[in-house]
Amino acid sequence: MSLQVLTPMLVQPTLTKAFAEPSLAFCYALSEAIFADPRSRQFADLAALAFWLRKANIQRLIAPYQQDNLLYKPLGLVFHNTPANVDSLFVYSGILSLLMGNRNIIRLSSRAGGSAMVLVEILTSLADSYPEQVSRLQLVQCEHHAAELSAISAMADARVLWGSDVAIKALRAFDCPAHCRDLVFNHKLSLVVLDASALIAADEQDFVALLDNFCRDNLTFAQQACSSAKVVVWVGNQAQVLRAQQRFWPAFASKALIVREPLTDAEHFDALARAQQLLIQDPSAKSLTICEPMVRVAVEQLTAEQVKLNSGNGLFLELITPELAQLTPMLRHCHQTVSWWGLDPQLVDDWFQGVLIGIDRLVPVGEALMFDHLWDGHDLVLSLSRVTRNKLAKCS
Amino acid sequence: MTALLDLPPYDVDAAHKTPLLQAALGELTQHHYQQCQAFKQLINGQWPQFNADNAPSIGDLPFVNVRLFKELRLQSIGDDEVFKVLQSSGTTGKPSKIMLDSAAAALQSRTLVKIMQHWLGKQRLPMLILDHPSVIKDRRNFSARGAGIQGLSFLGRNHCYALKDDMSLDIEAISEFCDKFADTPVLLFGFTFMVWQFVVQQLAHQQQRFQLPQGILIHSGGWKKLADQAVDNFNFKQGVLTTLGVSRVHNFYGMVEQVGAIFVECEHGHLHCPSYADILIRRPGSWQLADKGEIGVLQLLSALPRSYPGHSILAEDRGRWLGDDDCPCGRMGRYFEVLGRLPKAEVRGCSDTFGQGGNL
Repeated sequence: MSLQVLTPMLVQPTLTKAFAEPSLAFCYALSEAIFADPRSRQFADLAALAFWLRKANIQRLIAPYQQDNLLYKPLGLVFHNTPANVDSLFVYSGILSLLMGNRNIIRLSSRAGGSAMVLVEILTSLADSYPEQVSRLQLVQCEHHAAELSAISAMADARVLWGSDVAIKALRAFDCPAHCRDLVFNHKLSLVVLDASALIAADEQDFVALLDNFCRDNLTFAQQACSSAKVVVWVGNQAQVLRAQQRFWPAFASKALIVREPLTDAEHFDALARAQQLLIQDPSAKSLTICEPMVRVAVEQLTAEQVKLNSGNGLFLELITPELAQLTPMLRHCHQTVSWWGLDPQLVDDWFQGVLIGIDRLVPVGEALMFDHLWDGHDLVLSLSRVTRNKLAKCS
Repeated sequence: MTALLDLPPYDVDAAHKTPLLQAALGELTQHHYQQCQAFKQLINGQWPQFNADNAPSIGDLPFVNVRLFKELRLQSIGDDEVFKVLQSSGTTGKPSKIMLDSAAAALQSRTLVKIMQHWLGKQRLPMLILDHPSVIKDRRNFSARGAGIQGLSFLGRNHCYALKDDMSLDIEAISEFCDKFADTPVLLFGFTFMVWQFVVQQLAHQQQRFQLPQGILIHSGGWKKLADQAVDNFNFKQGVLTTLGVSRVHNFYGMVEQVGAIFVECEHGHLHCPSYADILIRRPGSWQLADKGEIGVLQLLSALPRSYPGHSILAEDRGRWLGDDDCPCGRMGRYFEVLGRLPKAEVRGCSDTFGQGGNL
């Protein structure tokens, strides 16, 4: 399939000032258009996106960047690549780039569907009212090896690459201008840290809240989001953890079966296949327990095999550690979000300060899926613009 | 175990079969546990209580997810004993690799012959292969299709290929075959989709008809592509009757991961377990045993695989168990139906950014 342009370009796109009023107005209009579309109720990601695009949120987000003494300028043409498995992901980095005044070409995978196609329709419907903004947010669709991509890359001032490690390596092989900057969001694996003794002691209300939040973080997209936890780290001694597990898993399992859309048969099959493969290929994997709708695998270390093999679908790896410090040396660059519950916040904070490899994000359980413009170690606002000094430097 | 493999394929009722099969499968589990490190790790991890000496019931036997044969090289023999490597057709993703030593290869083809002789008789029949000749060229690495054709060729004589290498009909060859054997029993064999697409449809398109009234068509390979074209077993049989004049048609279910003890469709459209094999249905998610009539995922058991741990496999197919020992066709053993491949697990979203709109 050669390159297909999905959204109309009614005017020639030109760069604009950062945080320009018409760009902001476009965000709010997009938010309203998504909310107004009944399909946003079918797609959790669309509702979340519309929520993120609201005026209050965008204003809060950009406020820290609107200081007198700094001036943000666009980079120019920004090429965005979105992976096959992500539907509306492109909008977040696309919108931030649009706000910084850039012109954007966003490649959707040839397999994109669902909410991505709804968004294409909504953007198209806004083209008459916001021709300039829609033309700066151009959606295209093609295979990842299409010749047109190479031509776009050759003109790009920046490339925003979301995708698997293989896809990103392939895209980075395309030639680009010497000044072009790459923002890379590759394959990641996230963890949730639970304190065993706090879990045993939790009253019913706190316990139920934990189950709700854990469910939302980790089962919303069949546990496939990068920031959904694939590893549960239990902090405590063996006896405490065993008691905590005995309280947590059966309760979570029955909640998961009732509340969430159940995992599909194929997802169950995949989780079991991966779990069995881990028992064979990952020397740290010790036991497998089926706890419908989940599969639990006890591990003794964090390993590269887990990153490669655990694709979610209800497969939770469990690691026991007496304290957080023991986790630190096992962390790798690919370990992204740590969501946590039950620990002393000061202790968590101190630990996080000492983590030098891995972990880009620390959030309470329940917030793992919330988008933050600080992602994978990048500040998307800063990274998608050129920062300059606003006032003339004083002559001494 | 030897006793089990020597029994006729469809004469043994559950009361006699169960203890024999149970003992054979328990012994195989023990054997693979000792000979295959990967299998041992799997058992230790998922079935730590398993003890073959306690003659576990068939439902308690460990099972290997079939996808592991695509991801790993699983074998219970030394590398120097590998006689033949079977590969699945692997239209999507990696193919499975199944390691056979010479004993396993011999046992597998002997069992296949024994089962097929039940349906075809002991005489070797003239055989029309509904495929093209180059499908069996590479002898070291058989494709599933090649292996299937090779395996069944033993049952025939005067082999004739119905297709040319470019997949067009070899009308001349088919005509000659039909002229010669119109009045005798003949065997036709092919893969379901190939039979439909390249033989039945092409003959219909060219308005050619042949008459093999004593022919028996054996076919296998899955219905997915035909289901996409809304062709079911009934349409298929109609098409075969119209174009080839063959009314006896038997589908069989089997997979490269468990060659030999195949499941053949009887006159009533049911797939039958031979004495050497069985099936269970499991509920996806809990992976507990399902009841009779309930749709679930198929677990295939076979007393044959000794060179690789494939005696108890969780297949990627959905199915339903219909009965035991009481099919109207009179054959003993469990009978069932296959309801297609599990749909591929969709990647539902890396969704780094999918929030819940929770900042209220």
